Amino acid sequence: MIQTARIQCTALAPRRRWLLGAAIGLAACTGNIGDRQPGGAGNIGEDPSALCTSKQPGESPIRRMTRVEYDNTVRDLLGDTSEPAKDFVVEEEALGFNNQATALGVTQLLAEQYMEASEKVAANATADAAKLAQLLDGCDPAADGADVCGEKFVEAFGQKAFRRLLQPDEVQRLNGVFTWGLTEYDFTTGIQLVIQAMLQSPHFLYRVEFGMPDPVENDVVALDHYEVASRLSYMLWNSMPDEELFAAAAAGELGTAEQIAKQARRMLDDDKARQAVANFHEQWLQLGKIESINKDSAIYPTYDDALRPMWKSETQAFLDYVVFDDAKGDVETLLTANYTFLNKELADFYGVTGPTGSEFEKVDTDSAERAGFLTQASVLAVNAKPNQSSPVHRGKFVRERLLCQILPPPPNNIQIKAPDLDPNLTTRERFNQHDKDPFCAGCHKLMDPIGLGFEHYDGVGLWRDKENGKAVDATGQINDSDDIDGPFDGAVELAHKLAESDQVRQCVATQWFRFGYGRAEQKGDQCNLEKVQDAFAAANYNVKELLVALTQTDAFIYRRKVVPEGGGQ
Amino acid sequence: MRPLSRRTLLRGLGGVAIGLPFLSAMEPSARALGFPKRLVIFFSADGTVPATWTPSGGEFDFTLGPILMPLEPHRGEIIIIDGVDNEAAYHGPGDGHQTGMGTLLTGTELLNGTEFCEADCSDPTKTVGYGGGISLDQFVANKISESVTTKFGSLEFGVQVGGGSVWSRMCYLDADKPLPPRDDPAANFNDIFGDLAADPFGLENLRKQRHTVLDAVTSDYDALNKRLGKEDKIKLDAHLSAIREVEKRLDVVNQLGGSCQLPTIGDPGDLYNDDNFPTIGKLQMDLLVMSLACDLTRVASLQWSSSVSNKVFSWLGISEGHHDLSHLGDSDTVAQDKLTKINNWYATQFAYLIDQMKKVPEGDGTMLDNTVILWVNELGVGNSHTRRDEPFIIAGSCQNYFKTGRYLQYSGDYHNNLLLSVINAMGYPETTFGNPAYCTGPLSKLTG
Repeated sequence: MIQTARIQCTALAPRRRWLLGAAIGLAACTGNIGDRQPGGAGNIGEDPSALCTSKQPGESPIRRMTRVEYDNTVRDLLGDTSEPAKDFVVEEEALGFNNQATALGVTQLLAEQYMEASEKVAANATADAAKLAQLLDGCDPAADGADVCGEKFVEAFGQKAFRRLLQPDEVQRLNGVFTWGLTEYDFTTGIQLVIQAMLQSPHFLYRVEFGMPDPVENDVVALDHYEVASRLSYMLWNSMPDEELFAAAAAGELGTAEQIAKQARRMLDDDKARQAVANFHEQWLQLGKIESINKDSAIYPTYDDALRPMWKSETQAFLDYVVFDDAKGDVETLLTANYTFLNKELADFYGVTGPTGSEFEKVDTDSAERAGFLTQASVLAVNAKPNQSSPVHRGKFVRERLLCQILPPPPNNIQIKAPDLDPNLTTRERFNQHDKDPFCAGCHKLMDPIGLGFEHYDGVGLWRDKENGKAVDATGQINDSDDIDGPFDGAVELAHKLAESDQVRQCVATQWFRFGYGRAEQKGDQCNLEKVQDAFAAANYNVKELLVALTQTDAFIYRRKVVPEGGGQ
Repeated sequence: MRPLSRRTLLRGLGGVAIGLPFLSAMEPSARALGFPKRLVIFFSADGTVPATWTPSGGEFDFTLGPILMPLEPHRGEIIIIDGVDNEAAYHGPGDGHQTGMGTLLTGTELLNGTEFCEADCSDPTKTVGYGGGISLDQFVANKISESVTTKFGSLEFGVQVGGGSVWSRMCYLDADKPLPPRDDPAANFNDIFGDLAADPFGLENLRKQRHTVLDAVTSDYDALNKRLGKEDKIKLDAHLSAIREVEKRLDVVNQLGGSCQLPTIGDPGDLYNDDNFPTIGKLQMDLLVMSLACDLTRVASLQWSSSVSNKVFSWLGISEGHHDLSHLGDSDTVAQDKLTKINNWYATQFAYLIDQMKKVPEGDGTMLDNTVILWVNELGVGNSHTRRDEPFIIAGSCQNYFKTGRYLQYSGDYHNNLLLSVINAMGYPETTFGNPAYCTGPLSKLTG
């Protein structure tokens, strides 16, 4: 039996500037509107700055490497570029990101894959005499003794693999593995088994943190400098620390916010930072979905599956340029830039002239039709259906990814009747039903009026003036935002409105917080978020400065003292 | 599994099996005493079309509708279960697809968590997490491993399931411990059958070395886990258990012979191109059947895409995504016809799986007779997102436990009862499964 549910979507609650990014007081569309607490549960305390006098690190869950981090780490540790983690079990995602600590568990299959990958990496690293000699760093087993070289290797390599100095019991255990391999087989096997054991150790696969022994206040401890080095490298590079970071940690030079900021700025000039930022963008803007989308070639005759990776390349090249090469490098440029990156094939697809080869080149765009990433084919095609645009998906994308609002799911037990395709009607005309039907209107008023602003772009992101012979009406309306409510005409105007919104800027910071810290913002994070957002504002919303700001919070520099559950020390 | 003679082994390995250290298949263990029972889960998404799914006629003289017509050759070995509700999916957090998926095999509400927020991420009661308990398949796998160690406790095969989220996870090791399926048939082949094709001398050295390394690794986790706080310790204890499982199974050696032969693995093509969905699915089914025939595992699941699947079934002449179609109303007969075609295609795949299991002779019958295959879906009907009256089907009598060849009608019985019946069929006399509030005992009528 299909029941009729009473549905009402109430307005989003007004938010104060320092509210948690995700703390949207949007009531679920199910049940009664009275469920919602006035002000929303994320609204904690009226004046958080008064609370920011004590250290508030928030939670620091243990973080497991993602596939990307594993591959980058073995690349930087051993020069192994075989990407052994490519086939690992995919990460469980949370909040749209695949590096969220709470979601990353280990199954038997993954444990087996760690084992097999460690064997392959160890074999690659010792594949010939030259490689082995490189690992041994001058020690010659024939001249200096196999035992001596093995033990030196354990300590020297272990420091890099565990990203800190080894403890005596660890050295002993790993020497035992080496000696067994040497005795039962040969020297190379001993070295291989040590590498295998290290690459399966929690001290390699996880970022294990205990912090300094003495609290700075109450139960808050500063991280030790090696732990800071790893926090920096995995956030800004998605990989292990380099020599300079290790040296700074060894010299005790990662203790102050200034020292950390200095390293962060240095690291952002390294190409590894571009990869990490691209990883963030891929997940934040759901670019990974491009590979599995389908388009109906009967409706989109110029579409071809080979366009999909190029759409993604366009957006990644654009975002990379804005963040790292554009003079302003800010949120406004991300949203409104009058340029993009195209190669010949993509230029032909868009119907513009410019590049003549397969390389991507910077191309100016028509500011009447395009602005920033929102109007690139990647975002437009992912948020569309195989045979038509999708105001619902496009509106939802803006709400969730740019305004950090969470939309409730459709209610239980109501019949959802999406409008039929009709060759005589425009998409807007078909979706008018959502307005008329009170069952749908409550929630769809949050998505459709924004999404309809994208109606100049068809299901593959090409510009259209007419749909089914009728002129496109791309007027839209934002409601339930903090600061940009009102009408707009077309996605270009929408992009400019979004670019002026504090809510959007805070949302960018919140998304980076989630990605950078590997967790959702929580109730104890107001001070951390406020600090990040203030620094972001002071830097005119420059993204690189946002990343530096994320290394300056209590959440980054401190943690709560570990209270052992297992009765250990 | 039939005890293997040494001659079979030599033949199976092409004569290189001299000096094999041990052959568990030849030991007088439980596996030699009779044919083992197996459990297979088969998942397809987005609900069904009740009008074309539901048979007409009575318990025995039923006539299959258009969707299930491909099962006609197997009508004697199936039970069509009509009118069972997934009650757990109406409790706890989550949207229709999320709850439908996360409760499907667990029978327990989803947890709160950061997976997704219903309205407000900072309000813990409004957040959606992963499944809240162990799933049927893992429960049975654990029970089996109390008495028998097969090479794999269970195997999870996916067909274009892709990224991990509560929408795409039905198998759970425990609450909050989703068990992802593996989408790549080639990687599955290497993992599952690699040892069978490898040089036994090399394998023996590898096993010795792996024991040494894993012993050291295990000590690392042991030492660390004692020092960790509660949440981190739970996570790393689970990792340690996974390593112990790997180590425990290092010494399990299977051999080719009889019905157990290396499957051939063709090129599946681009793993995430919708057009390859049928090819990848067939490869995964072949691997699944052979892993059971070789007794590498006794529990397997096959997950076609995930809940909210929006596959485009272009090979059926359909250009819209499945999920988009599933939202269209009952009065849209064109859309309903397409959905019937899609579900009929899944029934054809289900029939193929049955066929392949019937090709494995065991005793006087076939492997299907020793198996229960359970076909599940996260919804009843796509356009209403109902989790009531879900389209369940059983194939295989599980050694005459189920009385097959029937169409059974229920009126809102809990699906936890069905999950419990499967556990009972596998030989474990539990009295409840999932949240006991939605389990009143084994589902009636299944055993006759």
